[in-house]
Amino acid sequence: GELMDLIRTEGQRMTAAQPSETTVGNMVRRVLKVIREEYGRLHGRSEESDQQESLHKLLTSGGLSEDFRTPYPSLRANVIEAINEMLIELEGTTDNIAMQALEHIHSNEVIMTIGYSRTVEAFLKEAARKRKFQVIVAECAPFCQGHEMAVRLSKEGIETTVMSDAAIFAVMSRVNKVIIGTKTILANGALIAVSGTHTLALAAKHHSTPLIVCAPMFKLSPQFPNEEDSFHKFVSPQEVLPFTEGAILAKINVHCPVFDYVPPELITLFISNIGGNAPSYIYRLMSELYHPDDYEL
Amino acid sequence: PDAPRCLSDLIETFRAQLRDDPDVASAVAAIRALLGFLKQDRGETIQGLRNSLRDAIDTLSRVDSSVAVSSGGELFLRFISLTSLEYSDYSKCKEIMIERGEIFLTKVSLSRNKIAKLCHPFIRDGARILTHAYSRVVLRVLEAAVEAKKRFSVYVTESQPDEAGQKMAKALRKLNIPVIVILDAAVGYIMEKVDLVLVGAEGVVESGGIINKIGTNQIAVCAKAQNKPFYVVAESFKFVRLFPLNQQDVPDRFKYKADTLKTSQNLKEEHPWIDYTSPSLITLLFTDLGVLTPSAVSDELIKLYL
Repeated sequence: GELMDLIRTEGQRMTAAQPSETTVGNMVRRVLKVIREEYGRLHGRSEESDQQESLHKLLTSGGLSEDFRTPYPSLRANVIEAINEMLIELEGTTDNIAMQALEHIHSNEVIMTIGYSRTVEAFLKEAARKRKFQVIVAECAPFCQGHEMAVRLSKEGIETTVMSDAAIFAVMSRVNKVIIGTKTILANGALIAVSGTHTLALAAKHHSTPLIVCAPMFKLSPQFPNEEDSFHKFVSPQEVLPFTEGAILAKINVHCPVFDYVPPELITLFISNIGGNAPSYIYRLMSELYHPDDYEL
Repeated sequence: PDAPRCLSDLIETFRAQLRDDPDVASAVAAIRALLGFLKQDRGETIQGLRNSLRDAIDTLSRVDSSVAVSSGGELFLRFISLTSLEYSDYSKCKEIMIERGEIFLTKVSLSRNKIAKLCHPFIRDGARILTHAYSRVVLRVLEAAVEAKKRFSVYVTESQPDEAGQKMAKALRKLNIPVIVILDAAVGYIMEKVDLVLVGAEGVVESGGIINKIGTNQIAVCAKAQNKPFYVVAESFKFVRLFPLNQQDVPDRFKYKADTLKTSQNLKEEHPWIDYTSPSLITLLFTDLGVLTPSAVSDELIKLYL
C-alpha cells in the first residue's frame, strides 16, 4: 500500500512536469500493475482471478476489494525482478516491430510516411534487406524532420523522394500504403502524432489506402481525448513566421502546434511489439497492461 | 396455494418502490422486489427456486415491459445460478445469496455516481448538449458537470408521445441550466449548433448498440452525418443478451407497453416506444465498468455469461 502511494506521488509529479510525455505516466502505471500482481501472487490469490471490474465480478464477489497492507519480505525482490523483465522487453520493442516488416511490405510498392520516426525507420530498413520498394516522405514542416528520415533511408539504398506537406493529397493516388509512427496511442484507438498526420490520414481514407501505425506498447496511454487532458503543446512560432518579420507580427496571431489528433476510424492497423491489432481492439490491450484504478494517476 | 399470493405481493412491492422513490431505476426496483421474493420463498431446492423466480420475472414483465426490467431479471437469475454452483447445501447457499444480493444492490445504487464522475470531464466549458427524452442518468451527469463549475446549455427533444422531454427540461431548469425544448422533427435543423449528443439507454445490446426511446436512432444518424460525438450513458445492469441486426429484430414485447400487448388487436397499427441504434453510430459508452468503446461491450457480456 505505502509503496504504491509513493510511486503514485512520484508519477503525479513527473507527469505534471511534462504532460505531453505520456510514456512517463504509462510506465508508472505498468509498475503499479506489476506490484499488484506480485502482491496478489504472494497473497495466495489464483492467477486467473480477474482484477478488472466486470459484470461477473459484480455478481460473485463477496466483499470489498483488498487492501494492500500485509507486508511480505519477498515482495520487493519479486517486484524488482518483474521490473527488470519489463526493461528487457522495452529494449527489444523496435526489433520486434521490425521483424514483422516482411509480412506487410511487398515488392515494388510505394510507401508514404511523414516526419521522422525511429520505429518506422527500423521497420523499413528491415524490409529493404529482402524487398525492393520506394518511399515518399512528407517533410513535415516547420521542423522538417522528414529530411533527416529521407537521408537515413537513402543511405540504406531505398529509393526515397521528399515532398512538401501540401502535396500529400496530390500524390496519394499513387501510394500503396501509408506507414507512420506516433507519439501516443489513446484509449479509444486514436492517435496523437506530429502535426500533419491528420491530413495524411484523411487523404489516405479518401483514396482507401491502408494506414499502418508502428508503435511500441509503452506508447499506449489509458486516457480518452477530452478537454481536461490538454495534450496540445505549442512551441515558439519562430519556425512559422520568423521574428525578423516584425511589421506583420504585431497584427497577426501565430501558432505552432506540435501535435495532431487522428480519430480511430481513419486507422487500419496498429503494429506493436506484440503483433498487429485493429483500433477497436485497443481497449483489450489496455486492460492487460494497466489496472483501472490506476487510469487516474 | 402460496404462489399467487407471493406473486401479487411481489407486484405490490415493485409498484410501491417505484412510487416511493421516483428516482430509482426500474431494474433496481425489480431486483429489490425479487430479492424480497427470494427471502420469503419456502422452497427446498435450487430447481424449485429457479422456477418460481422465472414465474416472478414473467409477472414483473407483464406489469412493466421495459428492456431494463428484463435485463435486471436475467442478471438476477444468472446471479442465483452462479452462487448455487459454489455451494451445494441449500440453506447455506440461500444465506450467501441474500448477503450477496444486498451487496449487489448497494453497488448498483452507487453506479450512477460512478458514471457521472467518468462522464463530466467530457463536457467542455461552453458546450451545447443535445439530449433525448427523460433519462435520470443523464440528469445525474449534468448535475455533476454543474458541480464541477462548468457552463453549458442543453437542447432537449420534446419526445412524443409522452412529452418526456418537458419533464427533463423542468428538472434541468431546477438545476439552473439554460434549456431549450425542441420538436422531435427539429433534430436535423439543430444538429449544426450542437457540440455533442448525450443520451441514456434502456438497454445495451451485445453488439454495442443501444435500445432507447423512439427517436434516438434519428438523432444518432444526424450526429454521424455532421460529425458530432454521440455519447451514451448506461449502468452495467442494462446489458442484455440480444443481438438485433435491424429494427425488426427487437422483440415485440419490448417495443410496446405491457397494456398494449394485452389489449391490442393488431400490433402493426400500434406505435413502438423504442428503437435500436447501431454501434457504428455510437462514439463512446459511459458505464460503471468504465468508459467503453462499443466493441468492448460484447467482451463484458461474454465475461459474465460464459
